[in-house]
Amino acid sequence: MPAGLNPSVAAPRGRLSDRQKDLIQKFAALGSLVALVAAFSLTSPAFLSLGNGMSIGLQVTSIALLGIGATVVIIAGGIDLSVGSVLALSGVVAALCVKEAGLPVPLAMLAGIAVGGVCGLVNGLVVTRLKLPPFIATLGMMLIARGLALQITGARAVSGLGESFGALGNGALLRIVRIGDDGFPEVLFPGIPYPVLLMAGLALAVAFLLRRSVLGRHVYAVGSNAEAARLSGVAVNRVVTLTYVLSGLLAGLTGCVLMSRLVTAQPNEGVMYELDAIASAVIGGTSLAGGIGTISGTVIGAFVIGILRNGLNMNGVSAFTQQIIIGLVILLTVWIDQLRNRR
Amino acid sequence: MLDGGDDAAVPDGHAIEAGCAPAGPLLSLFSVAKEFPGVRALAGVDFDLRRGEVHAVCGENGAGKSTLMKVISGVHAPTTGRIVYKGVERRFASPLEAEAAGIAMIHQELNLVAHLTVAENIFLGREPRRGFLIDRRALRSKARACLDRLGAAIDPDAPVRTLPVAQCQLVEIAKALSLDAELLIMDEPTSSLTEQEARQLFRVIRDLKAAGVGIVYISHRLDEMREIVDRVTVLRDGRHVSTDDFAATSVDQIVARMVGRALDEKFPERTSVPTGHVILEATGLTRAGAFRDVSFTLRRGEILGFAGLMGAGRTEVARAIFGADPLESGTVAIDGRPLAIRDPRDAIAAGLAYLSEDRKAQGLAVKMPVDANLTLANLAAVANRLGLIDAGRHAAAARSYVDRLGIKTPSLRQPVRLLSGGNQQKIIIGKWLFRDARVMLFDEPTRGIDVGAKLAIYTIMDQLAARGIGVVLISSELPEILGMTDRVAVFHRGRLVRILDTARTDQEEIMHYASGFGGEG
Repeated sequence: MPAGLNPSVAAPRGRLSDRQKDLIQKFAALGSLVALVAAFSLTSPAFLSLGNGMSIGLQVTSIALLGIGATVVIIAGGIDLSVGSVLALSGVVAALCVKEAGLPVPLAMLAGIAVGGVCGLVNGLVVTRLKLPPFIATLGMMLIARGLALQITGARAVSGLGESFGALGNGALLRIVRIGDDGFPEVLFPGIPYPVLLMAGLALAVAFLLRRSVLGRHVYAVGSNAEAARLSGVAVNRVVTLTYVLSGLLAGLTGCVLMSRLVTAQPNEGVMYELDAIASAVIGGTSLAGGIGTISGTVIGAFVIGILRNGLNMNGVSAFTQQIIIGLVILLTVWIDQLRNRR
Repeated sequence: MLDGGDDAAVPDGHAIEAGCAPAGPLLSLFSVAKEFPGVRALAGVDFDLRRGEVHAVCGENGAGKSTLMKVISGVHAPTTGRIVYKGVERRFASPLEAEAAGIAMIHQELNLVAHLTVAENIFLGREPRRGFLIDRRALRSKARACLDRLGAAIDPDAPVRTLPVAQCQLVEIAKALSLDAELLIMDEPTSSLTEQEARQLFRVIRDLKAAGVGIVYISHRLDEMREIVDRVTVLRDGRHVSTDDFAATSVDQIVARMVGRALDEKFPERTSVPTGHVILEATGLTRAGAFRDVSFTLRRGEILGFAGLMGAGRTEVARAIFGADPLESGTVAIDGRPLAIRDPRDAIAAGLAYLSEDRKAQGLAVKMPVDANLTLANLAAVANRLGLIDAGRHAAAARSYVDRLGIKTPSLRQPVRLLSGGNQQKIIIGKWLFRDARVMLFDEPTRGIDVGAKLAIYTIMDQLAARGIGVVLISSELPEILGMTDRVAVFHRGRLVRILDTARTDQEEIMHYASGFGGEG
């Protein structure tokens, strides 16, 4: 048999399988997370405390919620730049529903989330029907949603929303409070904040859907090769549209959570959050070329960003330096990802 | 990996010929071979071109014509062998180097920059300058002169994107002429020209001949060659078959040499027999610019071949039947029931399957593992009512097709891009078997697949037919068509010219119709 006639036989031997490489990548992210925690614990004694853990959890929640949406969109081969603006629009709509229309808080928040879903639907239709590149479609939505949020509030914060509006963002499960001898409440256990629970539940649910459902499988197939998916009978346009709707709904939810935490709706909230969301997905191993990515990776990525910010803060590193460091981390992880995918 | 023996095979005697430069040929190739990983595109070809001569190169798709042209024009360096140009042994490192030596190529696929003007395209990279600025006036007048020589009424200031394809072809030719080349390579220069434009081009070619330019001419249109061609060389499977004076040979002889007489490959014994039941009936399929009025029937258990030259419309017809591309008119019926096919989902639901010639771009989700690709077209069968995939049923389905088709993979989770071409093709077949396809349209199923795997694919196709599946086999390899099909539909320029009974035809007859002889009537 002539040499070189069957090169495929020799190729995989002696190299790590992709699955092994994926695991290494994931453990690399997880390992760097552990290393970060260890380093910050040494440099700042207050870092490894329950209270700080709670505040990191809350900070990470918004990045992770947006990151879950970003991951699904990117796996299907798209990108969503509009989520920062959409969360602001959703939040102020929820607030205005309470303040101007007098709706009960849960209904108002559902309305806000629905607005996010509609923004996502528009993104999806512009990408699939008008065939605009996702970058442009969602860039347009980024400006439109921000403009709407500023327009309907007159660029002013919406406050005076009542205590119940803050329940979602500030409440916690299993909080143990004792009334002290002096009559003041004493918090024995701060509980698990609702936003963190929400984030964990949604991360599990979306991870399950991606891994186990027909829709999830179609998301990967469309991102891996849209034409092959179409020729296999996958409703490509429907799948792509749904990813943007999911991203929009999660942005709407994030908006409600953020505004609830402040008990004030800020039309300027969430500027540049889309970049944190995309960064968390990318740090977690999602490929911007589509077809590859996991929710667990993204959650780890969100924690890397959140812990870096928190720990650097506690060590007195300026906000400017933090940006530089996070920028470098993104470059480094994507470079590692490229190395992994080369060959 | 490359065997050094070929070097020794270069006949030393040729060096003497090369020594007497002025009288000798413009270009001589001695035992030129070119290997790509796993493929031997050229296996020791001798070729020479005289000054003032048009030398045609003929061969089937994949015979090595393009590779030979790319070796001459400096795109590929030969693996072994020698190139003697104007009496000096040369080794061009790039097309630019060959161009500097006076060798220009007119590409079949257009290499023009759409947003620049005609004049800017003709002199791209060689713009006449004044200081560091482009001399627009000189640019325009020089371009005008080139176009006039071709008799082409094209505005030098028109952006190329506004021109129809035929005029782009003329611009491409003008560009090559502007180089004042001594050796011109023309790859299917008339493929998009009208009769009149082609005549003008032939006039220019005769002028060039008179001026001593040597021309290598590639065309599938043997009928037009007698106007200009002096000698003709036939290639087959990367080997030199013959070189003759065109006047001393005939079209039939050339065709016979192109296709070869012996069937080199082995095919399995056909076990399936077509039934009388018509499973697919296509009537009057038409899409402007692609195919016109194509009608045929396919019976259960039949393998129907689609033969024809590249661009004859075979793939386009198959894709339109499958709903991958639009159909302007005509009907497709399955089991006598007409179908409304708007996209591949409709076609798949009706039991159709299309296996693309470009497996990686259109057939497989290459980043996904074997099992996910096998089940992609029929996930509903392994999912519950809520749309959740049952991991056990999913793995069992994938495993059963891996076993039945003999797919060689280390695991079900192996990404398919790491598998060989033959195994990838089997995965695509498995995908459609799992979907219970009843009509399978195979588009060049064995392209780029090694010989052993080809036999496996043929055997599977025969088994599919034996199970009552209707199979369409689009192939540019005539031995494959003759070895595997029951009937052959021959296409020429978007038309189905003739349906032949495979048992009562041969390569010559098929090529005859495919080249446009005696077809349309």
